[in-house]
Amino acid sequence: MQLTRRPVLLAPAGSVQAAKAGLDAGADAIYVGLKGWSRGGAHGELTPRELEQVLVLARQKGAAVQLALNTIPRGREIDYLLERLPELKRWGITGVILNDPGILAYIHRCYPELPLTASIGCGALNVDDVALLEEIGATCIVLPGTVHPAEIAEMRPYVKAQIEVMIHMVDEFHQLGKCWMPSYFRTNPSPMPEMPADGERLTGSIKRGGAGVCFKVCQHPWGLYLNGQKKEERMLPARQVSRAPEVGAYLDAGVDVIKLQGRSLPPELIFPMVRRFRMAIDQVREGRQVLEVPPFELPPSWVVVGR
Amino acid sequence: MAISNMKDLVASDLSPYDAVYLGNLYCRDYEANFLEKLDDLRAGIRHCREAGCKVYLTTYAAPRNYFLPQIRKAIAVAAEEGVDAVEAHNLGVVRILRNEFPALSIHIGGFANVYTDTGALVLRDYGGTRVTPNYELSLEEIEGMAHSTSLPLEILVHGKMPLGISDYCFLLEYEKAWGMQCPDLCQQDLFLRQGDWAMKSTGKGVLSGRDVCMLEYLPRLVAGGFRFFRIEAVSEDPAYRRDIGMVYREALEQACSSAYEIREAWWQKIQAHAKVGLCNGFYFGQSGQLYIGNQQSAVGNQLKVIS
Repeated sequence: MQLTRRPVLLAPAGSVQAAKAGLDAGADAIYVGLKGWSRGGAHGELTPRELEQVLVLARQKGAAVQLALNTIPRGREIDYLLERLPELKRWGITGVILNDPGILAYIHRCYPELPLTASIGCGALNVDDVALLEEIGATCIVLPGTVHPAEIAEMRPYVKAQIEVMIHMVDEFHQLGKCWMPSYFRTNPSPMPEMPADGERLTGSIKRGGAGVCFKVCQHPWGLYLNGQKKEERMLPARQVSRAPEVGAYLDAGVDVIKLQGRSLPPELIFPMVRRFRMAIDQVREGRQVLEVPPFELPPSWVVVGR
Repeated sequence: MAISNMKDLVASDLSPYDAVYLGNLYCRDYEANFLEKLDDLRAGIRHCREAGCKVYLTTYAAPRNYFLPQIRKAIAVAAEEGVDAVEAHNLGVVRILRNEFPALSIHIGGFANVYTDTGALVLRDYGGTRVTPNYELSLEEIEGMAHSTSLPLEILVHGKMPLGISDYCFLLEYEKAWGMQCPDLCQQDLFLRQGDWAMKSTGKGVLSGRDVCMLEYLPRLVAGGFRFFRIEAVSEDPAYRRDIGMVYREALEQACSSAYEIREAWWQKIQAHAKVGLCNGFYFGQSGQLYIGNQQSAVGNQLKVIS
């Protein structure tokens, strides 16, 4: 079946060069983090000047830019965020990605016209999760690539909001948005960059510092002890999910946005990854089966450690 | 406290407790989970009532679409039996409760990721009558939330703190090697250790290795207006539930009525059950595994290791 609507391929960019690579490879939109505010962690964030450069590049390609402001702010950080949003909107961002339903509802009340994406960290997995997030102001809701097309087809009739699937991602042991292992072991508060007052990035907390600064506790070698006896040493399971062959099924199910994880990836890996999904989407749009997409495997070291 | 099944409920002394949560929020396959065995759920609710306890139903922390019909059935049974509240750890379940069971009180659980005052207020607007703030919040932040939202907050005062939830039970990989099947596997004494670090595994759930202990701080909590104190004992045995429950019952009565003095016998009981030692969770704004307080002997690592 040939698709009549145009799905959006949303690519990650943790640098100006990565944004260029993603756009050159055919991304319809890119998402970037703003320094200090991004769940992707400190290594995949842009300074305001870099954000401006990315916005210029995107305009040249006719692509949209979403801004991930998805660490959960506290106290004065929330006020500061609210003050900055109109300026960021004027710069040309097309929407904001948020990680806390309360902040999302609050920003929606303050700026009802601003498109708001409920980040994967909001933990939506089922039809009523998606419906609630839409009710409080989300215009787009992100689901993990572990949710199957049939489940999304069940959700579609109940929501008008866009449904976005992170179809290429690391499936860590704990579900995204529901992990406090790293901060149990260690936290390392540090001043939040770009924040003039008392903002604090809580390194170690996935929700308040960002997944990229979580110490990767799940990938340490753990001794597994059964009734006091060591049975073996192991890491907690994690795998790379990359569902290019299923792009057609996801789009048929009503997915609007195909999202790729990887804001810490270098441009030379961003390009083939985005290209692969561009080809898959185009094949579906032309009514072809997705057969001819080149395989794309990230180096094993990236799977969690380098994310 | 929470209890997963009828067998554990009948074996547990409920006399120290005012209320019990029924159900295992981690796994549908947990042995005779109240959420799946609805005749047991009816009997369990009546058992708690006869023991003079309030009784609440807890629900799955990360349900997919295909969980929802069973969750609805369990809630319907709980409603018929006049349960005092239903705990939801998931936005979708909150929405189902609000729309389909408006007469039921809703407790918002710790996996619901309430990090912000605005988040608590969103869930209050959906019918939440009590909220467990996310475990990563400090006591100062929790006190601020209580003040600014006027919502009753539930505080974990003792037990192994949840650190995350997975869709995948890695213990199933050991059925053959250990000669043990699901649902017996996750009921074993299972720890993940690395040096002095330890976490308890329940298959799909990971809990803090150390027991959160707020015994030293009960007077502060009572004076701060908190009235709902939880002992997390879902992965513990009946002796733990009895002993820890009795310690906190006595301590709470003293904290409410007279000069507060911690009895040596309380520490002995607490330490006898703390296999890896004690911590305060995130209440004092530090890493969750630290213990802040006068009882420095609480910190010791007492896990017996046979190598």
